[in-house]
Amino acid sequence: MPPIVEFNQVSKAYEQKLAVRDLSLRIEPGTMFGLLGPNGAGKTSSIRMMVGITIPDSGNVSLFGRPFVRESLKKVGYLPEERGLYRKMKVMDQLIFMGQLRGLTADVAASRSRAWCERLMILDAAQNKTEELSKGMQQKIQFIVTLLHEPELIIMDEPFAGLDPVNATLLQDTLVDLKKSGRAILFSTHRMDQAEKLCDEICLIHGGQAVLAGRMREVKSRYERNRVVIDFEGEDAFLSHEAIAEYRQYPGHVEIKLKDNADAQALLRAAEQQARIYRFELVEPSLEEIFIQTVGERVDA
Amino acid sequence: MHEALLIARREYVERIRSRAFRISTLLIPLAFGFIFGIGALSGRLTSGPKHIVVASNDAALAESERAELLAARKDAQLSVEVRAPLTEPELASLNADVENKRLDGYLWLKEGPGTRQLEAVYTSRDSADFIGKDRMQDSIGHALVREELIKRGTTSEDINALLADVDLKTSKVTNGRAVRADASKGFWGAYLMAFMLYFAVVFYGVNVAHSVVGEKTSRVFEVLLASAKPESLMLGKLLGVGAVGLTQMAVWIFVVLLLSSSSLWMNMGLGGLAAYGLTPLRLIFFVLYFLLGFFFYSSLSAGLGATVSQESEVQQFSMLIVLPQVIGIVLIVYILSNPGALPVVLLSLFPPCTPIVMTLRMAAMPVPAWQLALSLILMVLSIYGMAWFASRIYRVGILMYGKRPTLPEMLRWLRYS
Repeated sequence: MPPIVEFNQVSKAYEQKLAVRDLSLRIEPGTMFGLLGPNGAGKTSSIRMMVGITIPDSGNVSLFGRPFVRESLKKVGYLPEERGLYRKMKVMDQLIFMGQLRGLTADVAASRSRAWCERLMILDAAQNKTEELSKGMQQKIQFIVTLLHEPELIIMDEPFAGLDPVNATLLQDTLVDLKKSGRAILFSTHRMDQAEKLCDEICLIHGGQAVLAGRMREVKSRYERNRVVIDFEGEDAFLSHEAIAEYRQYPGHVEIKLKDNADAQALLRAAEQQARIYRFELVEPSLEEIFIQTVGERVDA
Repeated sequence: MHEALLIARREYVERIRSRAFRISTLLIPLAFGFIFGIGALSGRLTSGPKHIVVASNDAALAESERAELLAARKDAQLSVEVRAPLTEPELASLNADVENKRLDGYLWLKEGPGTRQLEAVYTSRDSADFIGKDRMQDSIGHALVREELIKRGTTSEDINALLADVDLKTSKVTNGRAVRADASKGFWGAYLMAFMLYFAVVFYGVNVAHSVVGEKTSRVFEVLLASAKPESLMLGKLLGVGAVGLTQMAVWIFVVLLLSSSSLWMNMGLGGLAAYGLTPLRLIFFVLYFLLGFFFYSSLSAGLGATVSQESEVQQFSMLIVLPQVIGIVLIVYILSNPGALPVVLLSLFPPCTPIVMTLRMAAMPVPAWQLALSLILMVLSIYGMAWFASRIYRVGILMYGKRPTLPEMLRWLRYS
């Protein structure tokens, strides 16, 4: 089966600034793909080339196994970073219009819109004007607009930005369901905890270039399991143990980086004698740490 | 094309439903009615009962002048008193009467001894022109002639026949035949059409810019761009807004037709629509020029609207839309009186000015068919060019935020594909 998205040595420059440089990536069906990077790294520029809003200066973009053609966009759902809805339009009219624009008939668009509104619990607001809705609700509508035509490729630029935890979880669960049904999902974010939880595969870009890419498990396994997370109660004198290189302490919780080849078991024994241990976990560095480390190195360089 | 039509339909439906549409459909004709109504009424409002005196050192002349004044103002309630013969110092008492509002004014006619030299002064409180300087001068001239003719023994019938006003009728050649035309009604008809065109094109042109900027600020574009080409977005917007404009015009034209066939209209002695030059051909060209003018200016407006990020910035370029059309409005009298002059012909073929200038020319003369055809061809070509230019600016501009691009930057955008 061909990859859903394939970038081959893609570059794009605006005026003087090089936004994307020699970027290559592949997204397989049924994958949750995270496009990560700090602000201004080139995430949105890459995504815009994926949906044909801009055209690369060099390199090739392929969707569904063939070079980009507008026809392919019928199978793509795109949620831009800047949310855009007609403010004065009624929600249902808006959903139907957007559905028609993506090739649905008015009837199909209407029935699917109702189903989605029900699922995301905003059916009550469907007859209101869009501008009367809260920001979170507008975001849900935007979400529905993206999914109405049942796209095989779903591209979301910062989909969870500005959502409260309840709604963020609701939308995350929806995305996971869509992935399970075989859709390819690409989303960009700078929230590493979300990426870590959701993504099967990531590409970290910085300064327009991919600096780290691959399956999440594989990326993380490149790093040594030398992080210890302890939840405890009592004395914290064990933090001066010789195995510890550095640590960050929070109330009842500490995140430790061990020295190279240090013995984690010795640390556990020392801690156990001074405090009551609820959790002791030896882990790889978090994606956030990897991110900061990778990006930080590049900034220094 | 399917996308463009969907976008056009959305634009049309949302606009027709909006309050702004209902208000402007109602208010614009009311505003016109108001302006024209004031113009028509102002002539009548000034005439209350007037009481004036004609004073002279020549009693016969004063009597003649009285008769002339009364004849000139048959319609008004005017009473004219004669004080003659009178000497200059006695005028002081008349001044007092005017001052105390016992008189509205007096006309002093002084004939030099033994000559036909006449000195005439009209004195009133506010130098208000209740009768018109020209007509008062005419009446004095008539009075002098009448008096002289009487002295020479001419009969009063002959005098009346000589001094009677000539009724000048106007006609113009239409389709090779001279047709009686009411010049003033034709003028009002042309005036109205030119102003309607001007307002409609400016109003909808600027509307397009506002709507582009609105979609830019609400960031709808990026959502739309994932399923439609920028060209379709622009075409859809122009078609939608243009259709709203046509609908509004249709409402107005329908109301005018309805009114003109009503008995009220006839009772007011306003005459048939043809008297105003509102013939079917002219109406067709009116709609045609509206559409062409609209597409010309609104594609410009869409392109420029895409370059700004805030509604308030639209004003900065709305002059570009207003200015070429104002030329036609400013020159309205010149164009109507010299519809065939070379500068006017050239101006009517210059696409930015064509709609208004050609509409005015058509009111004043039968414009040669080749000129009409040429103007249509030139407009279509220039709309094509303008749309090419605008769509290129548009496709780059709608995704640009922040600083407004300079002209060189915009020209660079033209090369992006």
